[in-house]
Amino acid sequence: MHPARWLRREGVFHALALPFAALTIVFGLWPILLAMRVSFTDSATALRPNPVWVGLANYASVLADPGFRASLGITLAYAALAVAANVGFALAYALLLHSPWVGRARTLFKLAAFLPVVTPDVAGYVVWRWLYDHSFGAVNAALSAIGLPAFGGITSPDTALFAVLIAELWHHAGFYMVIFLANLALCDRALEEAAAIDGARPLQTLRHVVLPQLRPAIVINVVYALIQFLKTFTVIVVTTKGGPDGATDMLSFHAWQAFDEARYGEATAMATILFAIVLAVTLLFYRAGEKGRAA
Amino acid sequence: MTRFLALAAGTLISVLFLFPYAWMASSSLRSTRAVLAAPLRLWPESWDFSGYADLVLMGDLPLWRAAFNSVVITGLSALLAVAVTAAGAYAITRRPRAPAMRALRAGFLVTMMYPAMLLVIPVYFVVYRLGLLGTTTGIVLFLSMGPLQFLLFEQFFRTLPAEVIEAATIDGAGETGILWHVVLPMARPVVATVAIITFLLNWAQWFPVLVISRDSDTWTLPVALLTLNGELGTNFQAIMALSVLTTLPPALIFLLAQRQVIQGLTDGAVKG
Repeated sequence: MHPARWLRREGVFHALALPFAALTIVFGLWPILLAMRVSFTDSATALRPNPVWVGLANYASVLADPGFRASLGITLAYAALAVAANVGFALAYALLLHSPWVGRARTLFKLAAFLPVVTPDVAGYVVWRWLYDHSFGAVNAALSAIGLPAFGGITSPDTALFAVLIAELWHHAGFYMVIFLANLALCDRALEEAAAIDGARPLQTLRHVVLPQLRPAIVINVVYALIQFLKTFTVIVVTTKGGPDGATDMLSFHAWQAFDEARYGEATAMATILFAIVLAVTLLFYRAGEKGRAA
Repeated sequence: MTRFLALAAGTLISVLFLFPYAWMASSSLRSTRAVLAAPLRLWPESWDFSGYADLVLMGDLPLWRAAFNSVVITGLSALLAVAVTAAGAYAITRRPRAPAMRALRAGFLVTMMYPAMLLVIPVYFVVYRLGLLGTTTGIVLFLSMGPLQFLLFEQFFRTLPAEVIEAATIDGAGETGILWHVVLPMARPVVATVAIITFLLNWAQWFPVLVISRDSDTWTLPVALLTLNGELGTNFQAIMALSVLTTLPPALIFLLAQRQVIQGLTDGAVKG
């Protein structure tokens, strides 16, 4: 082909990719590099052209901070619980919706569970914050109406984490559910029928026939949920602000507070640590998922 | 019997999922005193619209301004996201072996791995350096980047049959002509899906909006709601009213386009 024509032909593609490349650099690569750079500088000088370099001092002070360590522990424990609760519930509910028993109600049930996913999280959590309220809230009013003891909600250190988990489950579980439903739609019904003819009990069929076919959805959901709940943020900002007594002081909220107090060096050091944890855990689970598939 | 139990369980869970909406709507129309007296009652004793009236002026931020910002920021970022990402994904899928395209794809994938919430902190520094702090432009530009949008477009362009493009080339069409007359008409459904999903996702965004804003001039409805909820001497009824207004537009769009939204979000997750 003639060089000028070749250039014009390839030029079209480069021109098309240019805005996308510009946004990727300006709002992706540059900020990430900048964050890493800021994490090695003194907070007071971080925004100046010639910041004072402090090496790993920010990382050292963050890791030595008992508040950060407590926050790390809460975040990891909460993420494990939230992943189990969300993926477990989503799986059970998807199996129910996929069963022949629900019939036409399926669409309605699915929409009800999915609506919270597209509801702005701030609005959803604001409503939950008031549902848990001791004087306004419907939660305690309902509990006392059916004769159950009152629920501490977000104001008691013992129940705050659980209250946050319920609100997050309401917002996120529908997403994991539709992933399971998409996977279930691809499953081979003939295998289930064959198992039933061979005299397998429903639970045996579930365990040995259905669950192995759901492996892709389980891996995807666990990885997505892990990434999601390690970063738990909005619900904390809206409902507990890390309290009571630091019971819900998640890492991303902890880092945000440092940023808000202009402790930029420490904030970006925490962000980098959380990024490393999310990356490591995600890769670990992907590996486990791949290995399982190969075996 | 099994059928009855299954329907009962599904109904109960659906009611639990939907109850917060009913309670929010009801509380926005009942006086605070009425809610305090009977927190579980859903049908208003008497219709009280004062919560909505109180919203007309929230401090120094008028409601119309926050609603206007929400529509403009969400709408523009959805349009820009579709245009920029579709063009980028198209170029990358058509020239997958070109070094520049490979580098771009790799760079974008790294960006996607960085948790979006943590990205906002360094983005503040970048926006500050570009002089875009406190501008709608800064917010719109940041919100028009998303992993889901790219993955959906990439998937679609990969499934384009090569013969269609070859045939057009033989007929003498240039690349611009192919894009305009052959690819775009075929891409209409995926463009619509990505636009709707981006609108839904960006309508809910509050953190980047808050961080890139200098003052309430560029706040959207969720940011206004967050602030109203955090104020001392809370006006419960107004908070519920603003929650209703923040929830209504995406809920309606979702109910109208639920198949596309669920399909798009699932595809983006499964193939990503």
